[in-house]
Amino acid sequence: MNLQILIDNLPYLLWGAFPDGALGGAALTLLLSVISSIAAGVLGLLLGITLALAGGVGHSALLLVLGFFRAIPVLMLIFWTYFLLPVAFGIDVPGLVSVACALSLIGGAYLAHAVHAGIAGIPHGQWQAGLALGLSRWQVLRHVILPQSLRMMLPSFINQWVSLIKDSSLAYIVGVPELSFVAAQVNSRLMVYPAEIFLFVGAIYFILCSGLDALAGVVSRRFASR
Amino acid sequence: MKRRAAIFLGLGLGLALASGIAQADKLDDIRKAGVLRVAAFDANPPFGFVDEQSKKIVGLDVDYAFELGKKLGVKVELVPTNPANRIPLLTSGKVDLVFANFTITEERAKVIDFSIPYFASGQQFLAKKGTLKSADQLKEWRIGADKGTTMETTLREKYPTAKVISYDDTPFALTALRNGNVQAITQDGAKLVPLLAALPDKEKYEIPAFAISEELEGVGIPKGETRLTTTINDWLHELEKNGTAQKIYDKWFGPHSKSPLPRLFKIGDAHIRDK
Amino acid sequence: MNIASLFGEPLAAKYVLWLVDGLGMTLLVSAIVVLLSTLLGFAVALARTTTLPLLPRIATGYVAFFRNTPLLVQLFFWYFGLPGLLPEAGMLWLNSVHTLSLYGELRLSWPSFEFLIATLGLSFYSTAFVAEEIRAGLRGVPDHQRRSAEALGLTPWQVFRYVVLPQALRIAQSPLFGQYMNIVKNSSLTMAIGLVELSYASRQVESETFKTFQAFAIATIFYILVIAAIEAIGQWLQWRQDSRRRRSARPA
Repeated sequence: MNLQILIDNLPYLLWGAFPDGALGGAALTLLLSVISSIAAGVLGLLLGITLALAGGVGHSALLLVLGFFRAIPVLMLIFWTYFLLPVAFGIDVPGLVSVACALSLIGGAYLAHAVHAGIAGIPHGQWQAGLALGLSRWQVLRHVILPQSLRMMLPSFINQWVSLIKDSSLAYIVGVPELSFVAAQVNSRLMVYPAEIFLFVGAIYFILCSGLDALAGVVSRRFASR
Repeated sequence: MKRRAAIFLGLGLGLALASGIAQADKLDDIRKAGVLRVAAFDANPPFGFVDEQSKKIVGLDVDYAFELGKKLGVKVELVPTNPANRIPLLTSGKVDLVFANFTITEERAKVIDFSIPYFASGQQFLAKKGTLKSADQLKEWRIGADKGTTMETTLREKYPTAKVISYDDTPFALTALRNGNVQAITQDGAKLVPLLAALPDKEKYEIPAFAISEELEGVGIPKGETRLTTTINDWLHELEKNGTAQKIYDKWFGPHSKSPLPRLFKIGDAHIRDK
Repeated sequence: MNIASLFGEPLAAKYVLWLVDGLGMTLLVSAIVVLLSTLLGFAVALARTTTLPLLPRIATGYVAFFRNTPLLVQLFFWYFGLPGLLPEAGMLWLNSVHTLSLYGELRLSWPSFEFLIATLGLSFYSTAFVAEEIRAGLRGVPDHQRRSAEALGLTPWQVFRYVVLPQALRIAQSPLFGQYMNIVKNSSLTMAIGLVELSYASRQVESETFKTFQAFAIATIFYILVIAAIEAIGQWLQWRQDSRRRRSARPA
């Protein structure tokens, strides 16, 4: 084990060439994860509510679309969004955006089901009680159903966000300089310390992911004690 | 009705956008934007790699790209690429040009255009010292290559029984060689020499003298951009005439560089000269 | 530039075959990983619930570590990092060809290092997820079931085998199938260590024919078909169980 090489390359692994160049490394991983997590959360919430409220053809059509995003490997979807969106629609999407797109679409598709299940898990009596009080369907959802079901969904959201941090490593395939990509770069420059580098990078991801896990634990205990 | 109109409008807009792309002249676009987007390697010294101090991509290809930027009077923006992403980057319009040790082939020329070659070298091998004596051995060997390179294709054509394992980039292949996962790796000779020079235990490895193909490398240009291609070709001839090409070569392969290699190809030549 | 022009000429049969071969490899690796991670997952889940000292902690640490680091980094470590830590002779053995003849006809050959690391690396990763689903299943079995079975005089093994396990599996079945789908999708990452599976093949076809759209489209369709097949198997198992339960619940 050679610790010196890790110390020498620590700044590059943590924030890339910043501030002289573009932000990279663990900082970019974090940024990419935060952007995609928010997008996936919003998308999941919207699609989940739609899934819960829509009936018939709309429901089935949405299920089919969600099924597509749940069936396709993240790597494949990144290829699609990175190489084929620009050709098909004539718009140029930067690497970071196309990876964020792929991650939020897949995350959103998974979360939609969790949100749907959370809403379906609230006893039907609650709906009836809300409607009987003269609230609209939307008001019942907003003030009665969602506050209760969101608490139940929290673990799903956390799980999905942890997956998202990990999946952001696939951005390396399209040259987004996040943590895994700069790790591969450092590895190619030094050539002889792959074990050290990948162990160390694994440890950084571990801190990020289990940190999020721990944070979620604190939040959910807060919820429970209220 | 309204919705249908909206769809048509959207389609029309899409078509207008698409045809706009097809008709506009890339050279004008680049000048207008003031930025030249270039795909370059970031892990293939000395063609394109991240400099340890500056953390910026530097190398022979990068020097050429900046020279062209100077010529056109625009800023150069580098996009890191691995070998397999070069053509998709170009065809999807994510970059204007590719300066990345890009071998000119007939197959590739069907989907993109190339400039005249500005660098040439042969496909060679790097292996543990004394193990690889003749090209015949390759038939039974496990050989590491890069995904989406001509090396992979040539090897598969000439030695169909060899077991070719392809990685995302040369350094991965090199690690696999060091680990013994493959018995040799294949690359341009000009890429292998500096790779070998940088190895901490270089005395254990060698590059056998034989080459299995000649690789002429040019600038990758989007299909059909004739004005851009002519401009680049003229500029390349100019670089040779005014000595810039030699200067760039000497910086990376000259007698005082880390990996000295005689210059056997000049811009304008059809083939590598015999030693 | 419309969608049809993106497709261009259809792919030559040779390249479609490459993709089919890739699919075969994806299926083979996935099947082995499903099997291995289910077995290992059971072991880890049981280790987490034992009252023995230390063992639950080790199991918990295993799950935390493998869940909270990216599969890609794990594969890089196993494939590129680990060999440097092994003695050279060991690596030489692992990389050379070994064949075992059974009755002269059937020959078993030692798999390539890529295949070995791909299956093991993916199994170690997936085990952490499978173990959690199995543990949730085990925890879902009400305690009184265990106690009443013990009261009937069943041995601990019998209690587990005939009372706890069938119920736990029923609870865990749907999430387990979800994990199996993840295994198929995650197998795409093994292309980074040179295994010629479906994603690798699609990239190879793409770089040889430049028919990006077709290469990715066919690979995507293959993935969706495999996932749909797993979904169908899961649904069928569920349906069979339900109908069986309904039959046995009907008064004789």
